[in-house]
Amino acid sequence: MIELAHLVKRFGDLVAVNGIDLIVPRGEFFAMLGPNAAGKTTTLKIIAGLIKPSAGTARVAGYDVQTQPLEARRRLAYVPDFPFLYDKLTPWEFFRFTGQLFQMEEDRLQKSARELIARFNLESYLAKPIEGLSHGTRQRVAIVSALLHDPEVFVIDEPMVGLDPHHARVVKDILKERSLQGMTVLVSTHQLSVAEEMADRIGIIHVGRLIAVGTREDLRRQSGGDGALEQTFLALTAQEANVQEERAAWSES
Amino acid sequence: MSRRNEPRGLNPDSGPGPPNSRKNATDNPAMPSSLNHSPRQSPLLLLVRINLLQAWRRVKSVREQSRLLSSLIGLFVVGYLVLSFWLFYRGMKFVETFPGLGTLLTERLLFLLFAFLFVLLLFSNLVISYTNLFRNRETSFLLALPVPAQTIFRWKFLESTLLASWAFLFLIAPLLAAYGLTHRVPWHFYPATLLFTALFVVLPAVAGSWFAVNLARYMDRRVFQVTLLATGALLLAGAAWWLKPEPITDDMLETRVLAVLDRLLMKTRFAQFPLLPSYWLSAGVLNWSEGALTTAGFFILVLLSHVLFFGFLAFTGMGQMFYDAASAVQSRGSVLGRWGWFRAWQDRQRKFSYKPGLLEVIVNLAPRLRPDIRALLVKDIRVFWRDTTQWGQTLVLFGLLGAYIINLRHFSHQLTNPFWVNLVSYLNLGACALNLATLTTRFVYPQFSLEGKRLWIVGLAPLGLVRVVKTKFALASGASLIVTLGLVFLSCRMLKMSPERTLYFSLTVTVMTFTLNALAVGLGVLYPNFKEDNPSKIVSGFGGTFCLVLSFLYIVVSVAVLAMGSPWTRGVQSSSLLTWGWMTFAIWSLLIGWLPLSLGLRKVKTFEI
Repeated sequence: MIELAHLVKRFGDLVAVNGIDLIVPRGEFFAMLGPNAAGKTTTLKIIAGLIKPSAGTARVAGYDVQTQPLEARRRLAYVPDFPFLYDKLTPWEFFRFTGQLFQMEEDRLQKSARELIARFNLESYLAKPIEGLSHGTRQRVAIVSALLHDPEVFVIDEPMVGLDPHHARVVKDILKERSLQGMTVLVSTHQLSVAEEMADRIGIIHVGRLIAVGTREDLRRQSGGDGALEQTFLALTAQEANVQEERAAWSES
Repeated sequence: MSRRNEPRGLNPDSGPGPPNSRKNATDNPAMPSSLNHSPRQSPLLLLVRINLLQAWRRVKSVREQSRLLSSLIGLFVVGYLVLSFWLFYRGMKFVETFPGLGTLLTERLLFLLFAFLFVLLLFSNLVISYTNLFRNRETSFLLALPVPAQTIFRWKFLESTLLASWAFLFLIAPLLAAYGLTHRVPWHFYPATLLFTALFVVLPAVAGSWFAVNLARYMDRRVFQVTLLATGALLLAGAAWWLKPEPITDDMLETRVLAVLDRLLMKTRFAQFPLLPSYWLSAGVLNWSEGALTTAGFFILVLLSHVLFFGFLAFTGMGQMFYDAASAVQSRGSVLGRWGWFRAWQDRQRKFSYKPGLLEVIVNLAPRLRPDIRALLVKDIRVFWRDTTQWGQTLVLFGLLGAYIINLRHFSHQLTNPFWVNLVSYLNLGACALNLATLTTRFVYPQFSLEGKRLWIVGLAPLGLVRVVKTKFALASGASLIVTLGLVFLSCRMLKMSPERTLYFSLTVTVMTFTLNALAVGLGVLYPNFKEDNPSKIVSGFGGTFCLVLSFLYIVVSVAVLAMGSPWTRGVQSSSLLTWGWMTFAIWSLLIGWLPLSLGLRKVKTFEI
């Protein structure tokens, strides 16, 4: 599970994350939506332990990311929007390397890798250097390496970038299956269809604040409309923008 | 890929993993068995192993990609080693000929050289550690894995030390070989120097990484730029003060040589400060060469104790500092932001205005320039200024050369012999061109490849790629001409040369500047690399290496031809010599500069985006 409590992140004067409180329970598929520069990636980076929060705490599977970083990271998988891969290694070597960094037993590593490789149709790429792979194949390699150690919490930024429809389907299916088996999934995306189809709950971040959290139905009610998620999203972010403007006008007066 | 040629220990089948797991891994023919070691091993060893494998494959791919490239690199390395060994050997032989002073001078030169190399190593470690720790995607990748920050720091520290120190080893190897040969040292001197050097490089590496971590923690880009400029100015002022001339008359030179030498060497005594690590290295090497093994052993122990102490601190205590600094770098905010005046200054900097900036106003003053060319110029100048690496390296290279040339005035009194004046003037020309060649290869050559990433905008604009390439050539040549012409003019002034000689050298360096830029731009277009974002990786390919080798070859041949054809060599003006030298130089320049540029422009006309 993921627990964010009063999370704040400041970049100088800019407040990128402004007091986020959120609990994503075990086995939930949670989608985080928001306009550009809303604070989604910063929140994800704090959860992954890449940056420190200015205030508040982030916990992964019960472990504080800052005070118990290794315990937290052992249970976490994080795939950024542009994942780093070792270009001169082959996918198979890369899988083994990440598995070994997670101290996986050999048998478990082999079993897990073979299963995921088959699901993602990566067999024919296993002996080829990563530098020669297409964008979509690299993304598949990154996702497989992240899922290898069977994480309790899976955090991914824009999961469908570069994937063809078939492999996008595979990713969706695997993430859904794993979440049903107890893996907590946190996806940050601009693709509303992913959130609409997959997520148990959706959170909308705007200007660093979590302005709405709930199921699709909850959000629809909150926005006061009855349309698709796109309309709900636009209505909620517009409402928030109006509130911000009113606040600014009030503080100026 | 064949695994037979990979480094020992990387082949899994020789590894200690359980037999059944090795069997499993090779069951499936699609799954290569590389790296099938026992999974329970230290993350540091894993990182070292994986990066060794990457490095080995990189070397292999260079060899497989182009035999010409590997031959070129090989030739260049051997050529450098032979030439530098010969120069050091001849230099040491020459110094040894001074009766009674030879040994003293050689020793002092070694102390000085190692002291300066220590400072350079420190600087190099700082820059490389910073890049490696905070501007490296592998670091971010590792930070999200269950690898302790201390382990990541250890790995990056080892990598940075290696990257920063190989050039030092490459530089001192021929020097120590020449020293050993001139002093007829025993065979064990050579392995002993290896040990001394291996211990020595650790100390600037620890200091460099410590500075890098603290710079990252406390400075943002702007503060770093200002500090760099201020420190550079302070260092220059300090050097100028320290090296202020000693009044020495010709009479003193003839009658009191030892006293004069003593006064001159006073300035170099700082290199013999006993707490400097370079002193321990120099003293150890010198004592070993003289057979004073006990004293040399003492210096080995001094080095070893410091390496163990500081190495232990770096290996055990810097992980948390590194993690804090990494977070601070990603958070961008500077600690200076806690002060109101700094925030106010930053706010003023950030204030947006629809009006054109100062740079645009200045560029707009240039007559008869099309608006799209102006836009490209403004963009390129802005990118250059905002990339601290580019102008930082330019500043360091030309700043050092400038400091040396300015100091020539102190020797002009002694430089009365036309032979020396002539020699120094051509050496200055060569040094200036070599500096420029380093920069054109590093920064001008990758320009077209980097622009390739933005071809969707620049390449599709009505400006046309031909004009883009021409503009880049004009801008790079114009900007570098200001520096090279300024330095050569300064050199002529310091050497008190006549106006016609100043004109001669100014014209020469102008031609060389245009040629070197044309070569870099031309080869950059002929051998583009649109896959890479990192300019240093673009440069390390075939085209970049070829550009560097051709540039150096061009400079060596040009300076040699011009010096041989120099009308002042024998103190007699000879117009036929001048014409011969210049004609050869002009044809050589056309061949090296114009040819690749025109081939590049021809390629660009039919370029498929």
